[in-house]
Amino acid sequence: MISKLEISGLSKVFGDLQALQAIELSVARGEFISVVGPSGCGKTTFLRIVAGLEPASAGEVVLDGRAVRGPGGDRGFVFQTDNLLPWRTVFANAIIGREIAGRVGPAERQRTLELLKLVGLEGFENYHPRQLSGGMRQRVNLARALAIDPEILLMDEPFSSLDAQTREIMQTELMRIWEEGRKTVLFVTHQIDEAVFLSDRVLVFARRPGRLLESVAIALPRPRALAIKRTAEFVRYVDHIWRLIEDDVRLSVIEEKL
Amino acid sequence: MQESSRAELAVPAVEGERSERVAQAAQRPVARPRDAQAARSRLYFAGILSVAAGLLLWEVISRFLVTNALFLAAPSQIFAAIVALAKTGELWRHLSISAIEFALGYLIASILGVIIGFAMAESAMMKRMLQPWISGLYATPTIALAPLFILWLGIGIWSKVLVVVFLVLFPVTINTEAGLRTTSERLIEMLRSFGATPRQIFFKVSLPSAVPFILAGLKLGIGRGLIGVVVAELFGARAGLGQLISQSADSFNMPNLFAGVVVLAAAGIILTAGFGWLEGRLVPWTKD
Repeated sequence: MISKLEISGLSKVFGDLQALQAIELSVARGEFISVVGPSGCGKTTFLRIVAGLEPASAGEVVLDGRAVRGPGGDRGFVFQTDNLLPWRTVFANAIIGREIAGRVGPAERQRTLELLKLVGLEGFENYHPRQLSGGMRQRVNLARALAIDPEILLMDEPFSSLDAQTREIMQTELMRIWEEGRKTVLFVTHQIDEAVFLSDRVLVFARRPGRLLESVAIALPRPRALAIKRTAEFVRYVDHIWRLIEDDVRLSVIEEKL
Repeated sequence: MQESSRAELAVPAVEGERSERVAQAAQRPVARPRDAQAARSRLYFAGILSVAAGLLLWEVISRFLVTNALFLAAPSQIFAAIVALAKTGELWRHLSISAIEFALGYLIASILGVIIGFAMAESAMMKRMLQPWISGLYATPTIALAPLFILWLGIGIWSKVLVVVFLVLFPVTINTEAGLRTTSERLIEMLRSFGATPRQIFFKVSLPSAVPFILAGLKLGIGRGLIGVVVAELFGARAGLGQLISQSADSFNMPNLFAGVVVLAAAGIILTAGFGWLEGRLVPWTKD
C-alpha cells in the first residue's frame, strides 16, 4: 500500500521546550485520522507543521511523494476559529482559495456552489458572515478548505467553539460530507468521543515531550450514526483512550491552575 | 404615539401570572422589533425636544434678560439674518469660497494621508523617518501658523487650503497606518494556508480591513478641516464664512455673526451625517 502522507522523525523545539519528539506516521489514502491529547501535547503544532505554517526542527513530512516546505494548495486547513473575511459573502469566502491559486472560472464557481450545497448552505451564498450562526460559519470554513479540492484536509479543533448540540450535528454532517468524497483527513480535537466517532484511527499524544503514545485503530462499522456513541464497543474505545491520557490531563490541569 | 409605546413597554414589569408570562415569552420575538422601534423613535423625539427647548430658552434670554443686541442675538433674529444674507447672494459668495477651500484641502490631505499611511505601514524605514514629524505636527496647533501661511501664499484661497491640509493630513495618516498594521493575524494566517503571496495578503486582507480605520480618520478630518478654514479666514481673507464672522464682529452685527456660525455648524452636521451614511454603505460589517 502506498501511503498518502509519510511523516518521519518529526521534532519541534521552542526554546528549551521539546514540543514534538520523533513522530513517525504513515497515513493511507482516504483515511480519517484524529489526534487527541492533553493541552500542551503539541497536537496543534503537529497539524501546523503538516500544513506548512510552521517549520519543523527536524524530520520530514512527505505528501504524495513530495516533501512539504511551506503552505500549498494541496492541503486544505480548517481553522479552530472560522477566520471568515467579514466583508465577503459566503460564496466569496468559500472561493478564496481558488482565487489565490489564480483560477476562478465557471467550473470553479460551479464546484464552490456545489460544495456550499453539500455543507448545507444552499440559499445562503450571498449572506455575510455576521448574518450567520457559529455552526453555519464553521460550515463555510469547511467548504472553503474543500473548495481547493485538497489532497488532504487538516482540521484544527473546528467544532470546539460550538455548543454541545451543534457540535454533535456537525460531527454527523462531517461524516456525511466525508463519505461523499473520502478525502484523507487529519483531525485535531480534545474530545475523545468526537475522535472515536469520526476516525479510522485515533493517535493519542502525550506531553513533555509531545510524542505519539499509541495509535488506536477504530473498528466500528461505517456509515456511523450518533446512536453508535451509546454502544458498549464505542464506550470501550473512549475508556481506553481516556486511561492512556488521564494522568497527563490531570497534570496539565494542575499546571494551568498554578 | 409616545404614550402607547410606553404602556406596551410597561407590560412585562406589571404582569405576574405564570401563564401570562409564558404567553409573553412566546410573543417576544414578534414584539421585540416593535419595542425597539418605539424606543428609537422616543430617543429621536428626545433629541428634537432638547434642541427646541434650548432654542426657546435662548430666545427668551435674548429678549428679556440680555436685551442689548451687542451681546446676544435671538434665534429668530439669526434666522432672519440668514434669510437676508441668502437673498442678497452674499451668503452663497461666502459659503462657496469656504466650500472650495475646504474641499481642495480635504482632498489633497486625504490622498496624501492615505499614501503616507501606506508607506509607513509597509516600510519600517519610512515609519522611523516620518513618525517623529507626524507625532510632532499632530500635537502642534498648526492653526497658529495660519498668519505665516497668509504671509507666504497671500490672502487668497491657497493659504486656507494649506491650513486645511495640515489639519486633516495627520488623523488620516495615523489611522491609515494603524488600520494596516492591526490586520488580524488569524485572517493573514488563513490566506497563508492557501499559499498566498505577500501581495495577495495585502490586497485581500490588509487593505479591506484598513478601510474602516481610514474612513474614521477621514471623518475626524471633517471637523478639523472646517475649523481650519474658518480660523484661517479670520486671520485675513477677501471672502468666506470666517471672513463674514470677523467682519460682522468688527461691526457688532451679532445676527450676522451668529448666522455665519450657524451655517458653519449646519455644514459640519450635514457632512458628518453624510459620511456616517457612506460608512454604512462601504463598511457595513463594522456596524451592528
